[in-house]
Amino acid sequence: MSKTLNVKPMELVSGWIGWIFFRDLVGGLSLTLSYMFSKTVTEQYPDKEKWVPYPRYRGHHFLNTNEEGDVNCVACELCAKICPCDCIEVVPYEDEKGNRRPKVFDINLGRCLFCGLCEDACPADAIKLGQLYEFSSETSQALNVGRDALMGMPRKAEEGGKVYDAEFSLLEGVSVNISADNKSHDWWKKIRRG
Amino acid sequence: MIRGGLIVIELVSLVVLLAKMVIVILVLLMLPIPLTWLERKIAGHIQQRLGPMRVGWHGLLQPLADGIKLLTKEDHIPDEADRLLFTLAPIITLVATFALFVVIPIGDPIQLFGQEITLYLADMNVALLYVLAVSGIHVFAVIIGGWASNSKYAVLGSLRTCAQMISYEIPMGFAVVGVVMLAHSMSLVSIVNSQADVWNIVYQPLGFFVFFIASLAEAQRIPFDLAEAEGDLGAGYHTEYSGMRFSLFMISEYLIVIFLAALNVILFFGGWNDFLVPLPSILWFVLKVGFFVWLFMWFRFTFPRYRYDQLMSIGWKVLLPLSLANILVSGLILS
Ligand code: SF4
Ligand code: SF4
Repeated sequence: MSKTLNVKPMELVSGWIGWIFFRDLVGGLSLTLSYMFSKTVTEQYPDKEKWVPYPRYRGHHFLNTNEEGDVNCVACELCAKICPCDCIEVVPYEDEKGNRRPKVFDINLGRCLFCGLCEDACPADAIKLGQLYEFSSETSQALNVGRDALMGMPRKAEEGGKVYDAEFSLLEGVSVNISADNKSHDWWKKIRRG
Repeated sequence: MIRGGLIVIELVSLVVLLAKMVIVILVLLMLPIPLTWLERKIAGHIQQRLGPMRVGWHGLLQPLADGIKLLTKEDHIPDEADRLLFTLAPIITLVATFALFVVIPIGDPIQLFGQEITLYLADMNVALLYVLAVSGIHVFAVIIGGWASNSKYAVLGSLRTCAQMISYEIPMGFAVVGVVMLAHSMSLVSIVNSQADVWNIVYQPLGFFVFFIASLAEAQRIPFDLAEAEGDLGAGYHTEYSGMRFSLFMISEYLIVIFLAALNVILFFGGWNDFLVPLPSILWFVLKVGFFVWLFMWFRFTFPRYRYDQLMSIGWKVLLPLSLANILVSGLILS
């Protein structure tokens, strides 16, 4: 009751006038009209564009190597201990130079949740999560990645958070490659705010 | 000698009529193709998407790909369905929709090979009545389709469609009475000719308002698409239809949109009468109809759907009194 008394008569009248002339409907129509002629946000993945994630992105793991080409990992198994999914298996051995290195280093990406805890736990700056995100496979065995494969994986992105022109190729399996001109644009610029 | 001449004239006019029929049917069958593309593009851009992009330039050939897909789909008839009625319903819809276009004129007569060719199939003196009556046949197809499918969603959808169509056909019929009073005729050609100086929208804004809303409901477009409310009914009366039969329903749905756009233009926006820019009359007509089709699509992707009771109360408690008041006021002013 008190609520209705608080409404000023002028507001009531203007509200009614707005109602009669469908102010809300017209507002909705003009909004969609302005959207119709604004930039689209669609990313034409995979055959025209591709999103390159930020450096902080947690994608496919890789193992860092030192100048001599040896893996950084000292097989301390801290990553295997901290992994909440129990998906890292490390078997240590002593290599020719007398260093402790992993003989086996398997990550089961089918179980991994890409939390990045292994990266945080590593004392030797060895295991990292890179920017690769296109590694779906037809068998679950293929998601079991071994030591040598991990050493060969692409490293973290230098820069990212952009959409690059890309090409779709079926030459070596299925792959989406950034095109040669290396053109990119900031996707966030296209987003209409407000 | 004279009789021979008469027969030749008869023959020529028969050939012309047949040619016009073939052209109209072909154009009508082709029209949904660009329209589906347009609708998806408009939907996309309103939602800041691109819409179809893969098949052809900017997805222009997408409707063809869709057509091939629909044609090659299994022609499925549900086990419990009434087979005869189930196959009959889409055909009835299509026939009823095509029959509507018999009376739609699209421009001034043109001269071709020394013959004056009128741009309509028939200029009935009760064209408006015919249009309102024939658009009612569509309801039968919907009832039959929904009933024959033997599915609860289809029956519910067809019941809703019928209630909606019937309750909106009444204000629609009343809304055009004002136009008929102004033109002193029910023939669509003379209605257009009577608007040569001033379009009816100037005299009949209320009539247009009622007619436009009723035509949105007739076309079962959002915000009045309760019959096909995907969220609660699957797809309404054509839930059980697939493949070719489904596409017949889709074609007739698009044709009805075009038809209602054309009717809006003919009755209230001066038909093919030009405005400021003198263009060929057909072009003017097509432009205006295109604008209305676009308007329907724009509405579709802007508004949410009304609730069923709101739909009914808008029809009976708002549009019907408004259209009656419109008749009353027009009558008072004209007399
Ligand atoms: S990212 Fe997380 S889940 Fe994946 S291997 Fe590392 S610790 Fe385990
Ligand atoms: S990757 Fe790092 S944490 Fe894991 S075993 Fe090697 S050195 Fe230890």
